[in-house]
Amino acid sequence: MAAREELIKKIQALLPQDAVCRDDSYKAGVVFAAQAPLGKLREAIKLCEGCGYYLESITALDFQDTFELVYHLNCYEPTSRISLRVLFGHDQSPPTVSDIFASALWQEREVCEFFGIRFTDHPDLRPLLLPEDADFTPLRKTFGAVHAYHKREEIYG
Amino acid sequence: MAEHFPEPVVEQIYTLNLGPQHPSTHGVLRVLLDLDGEFIIKADPVIGYGHRGHEKMAENRTYKQFMPNSSRMDYLSGLLYNHGFVLAVEKLAGVQVPERAKYIRVICSELNRISSHLLWFGTYVMDLGGFTPFLYAFDDRENILDILDRVTGSRLTYSYCRFGGVTRDIDAEFIAMTRKFIARLRSRWDDYHNLVTKNVIFIHRTRGVGIIDAQLARQFGVVGPNLRACGVAFDARKSEPYEVYDRFDFEVPTGVKGDALDRYNVRLQEMEQSCRIIEQALDQLPSGPHINEMAPFKVRPPKGEVYLAFESARGLTGYYLVSDGSPYPYRCHIRVPSFGNLHVLTEVLKGTLVADAISILGSIDVVIPEIDR
Amino acid sequence: MGSEMASDWIRIIVGLIIVLAFSQLNALFLVWLERKVAGHIQLRYGPMEVGPHGLLQTIVDGIKLVGKELITPRSADWKLFILAPVLVFAPVLVAFLVLPFDEKLIIRDMNIGVLLIFAFSTLSVLAILAGGWAANNKYALLGAIRSVAQNVAYEIPLLLSVLSVVLMTQSLRFAEIVASQGKIWFIFLQPVAGIIYLICATAETNRAPFDIPEAESELIAGFHTEYSGMRFGLFFLAEYTNMFIVSAVAAALFFGGWHGPFGFSFGIPGIVWFLAKVYVLLFVIMWVRWTFPRVRFDQLMNFSWKVMLPLSLLNLVVTAAVLKFI
Repeated sequence: MAAREELIKKIQALLPQDAVCRDDSYKAGVVFAAQAPLGKLREAIKLCEGCGYYLESITALDFQDTFELVYHLNCYEPTSRISLRVLFGHDQSPPTVSDIFASALWQEREVCEFFGIRFTDHPDLRPLLLPEDADFTPLRKTFGAVHAYHKREEIYG
Repeated sequence: MAEHFPEPVVEQIYTLNLGPQHPSTHGVLRVLLDLDGEFIIKADPVIGYGHRGHEKMAENRTYKQFMPNSSRMDYLSGLLYNHGFVLAVEKLAGVQVPERAKYIRVICSELNRISSHLLWFGTYVMDLGGFTPFLYAFDDRENILDILDRVTGSRLTYSYCRFGGVTRDIDAEFIAMTRKFIARLRSRWDDYHNLVTKNVIFIHRTRGVGIIDAQLARQFGVVGPNLRACGVAFDARKSEPYEVYDRFDFEVPTGVKGDALDRYNVRLQEMEQSCRIIEQALDQLPSGPHINEMAPFKVRPPKGEVYLAFESARGLTGYYLVSDGSPYPYRCHIRVPSFGNLHVLTEVLKGTLVADAISILGSIDVVIPEIDR
Repeated sequence: MGSEMASDWIRIIVGLIIVLAFSQLNALFLVWLERKVAGHIQLRYGPMEVGPHGLLQTIVDGIKLVGKELITPRSADWKLFILAPVLVFAPVLVAFLVLPFDEKLIIRDMNIGVLLIFAFSTLSVLAILAGGWAANNKYALLGAIRSVAQNVAYEIPLLLSVLSVVLMTQSLRFAEIVASQGKIWFIFLQPVAGIIYLICATAETNRAPFDIPEAESELIAGFHTEYSGMRFGLFFLAEYTNMFIVSAVAAALFFGGWHGPFGFSFGIPGIVWFLAKVYVLLFVIMWVRWTFPRVRFDQLMNFSWKVMLPLSLLNLVVTAAVLKFI
């Protein structure tokens, strides 16, 4: 509880008021979801690391108008998971967090090879699961069989 | 104890390829080792040999059609993954599950966890050169597979859970077989301890080998028995209770040092705790329907997302589902425990001997297909 | 004079033929025995199909091996590569010349019998090194290097423990050593030397728990990774024949050779006693293999140099002291 509350306070101090959306009923599996601008991402992740959190997963969502990176972080206390979300365009490059959390080294490699998102300052962005010479990005909605390709507001309103 | 060797003594470093065809790398794993004699200077796991594109498949199949895929990611905890996926969809779509079904799912999941740990136990000792406990463990595991086969129809990859319950109800024969199996397994602990745990050679090969301290574990996102061996009592069944786990009285075993011997002990104790859970579940099993008849045939979760974490045999696993209101998921991402568990080896293997590398790899209990998805 | 020499020659030739036949049959039998012992320890039956209780399994496996393609890697040193399996067999066969099967059943009872056996068994290490090097494969090389280090390390306590027995009997002739065990076997007089000998013998023959050179799960197959077909079969058979030799030496030096317990032979011929002891020892070696995990390489070397060697030296000194003052 302590780490969670401390982190919530710090994130709320860092980001604008309506960017943090708290949900104590844990309906979506997170205690709060925070929308961070690209520039404040590293600071937010550093706050999490300082509160004893670990990086659980980095994944990306491909929308027609934007990319969304979702960082899930968790700590060893009960029901403490948070999610940090970043929106950016299809041609932008988010900063890496692999110097803050070592697990991001592989997580970002996976996101890069599946979505084509290149992280700046990442020491080693070669493909992780795909072959070394893969020149396609499978999880983009412009690749292969795709059932639906939405704009972001169609899902998150 | 292995010495730690940060700088090479001699300039000649040579690269050895461990795998992908190797008797001890579980699944298709390739580790590029830079060796100085017998000491490892750098270890770089190369994965992706088993990549089948499950996440892309998820976007092109309905939720029900994706169910067989869920078991095949980590085939040793197939029922646990199936259970987790069904839980995630139920949470997103708001489907109710009758009590009896919850208990049945918990019992079958815990049986699956025991069978996964038994297989790990057998193969780990076999990697170290002791060929016999492997067959004893498989003998016990066959009993579990028979029990689960009776009610699910499969031995390894299950699609037993449905949105709203389970496919088939369990009968008195199942309960009797399970109770008999628990009694038999408990009588085997002495055998295993005498044959393996107290064996001097085994202790020398595992004590002080591959130490992961808690800080390193947090940096790399290590979860599961590997994390618990470092002393952190973190278990998804206790920290985010799902199904009926909050009604059972069980402990979360932890280690002290985080070496291979601690990981081994944690897993053996976890098997015993799973037996306790199964016993309590069988005692508390209520009567009633085994599936919610009102659950929709084609699940259409409302727009939104869910991240459901559950405890598989290897650690905390997360299903991240994003739904756009149609019967097809928009995105399905699975956070697998073996991802962090394997990644931490790039740090842990530095400065160890090649023979220790096998011992460490085995003690981490990675299943490569779940990393590759 | 001429007929003596002729009968001598005939003796040698007949002996050689019997030795060759016996060693091959023995190797075949041991392969079957190992698989049966392994099976029963692991709660299963082992081979049961071919022949009664799988007795013909080894012959059939041999036929299969002969039929396989003999692959020589292109960048391997082919002369050494082909020579190594033959080299590993040769010294082992020589050792049969001096083994005391019975009082009158020694092919050539040399004055330096014990020395001959240990001198020739060291040559097989050369063959392993040659095989591992010639294959031009990193795994094979690692296995060969480990094997050489292990063999050298365990040779010394082995010889020292044998020396303790030789000190007691003051002779290197097998016949004399066995004959002097008529009343009481040397294992009771020299228990430490006996145990050291058995442990070192297991390490010398690369058997588990000291089977790092052929560690299946670590280095694919160690020094014989690149060998296929009958060449691999020859390494295999040589290992079993080597096991027989070290067990036979143990039986002769420590367990009374052809004598029955405390000199009572119950009318059973000496050779039966001798072979029974050898096979019991072989069974124990196999039993140990399927029970224990493998020792790590540096632990193995530490064990030899820091434990076995001082113990065997101490044993030798104590033996010498006791003999001096009694």
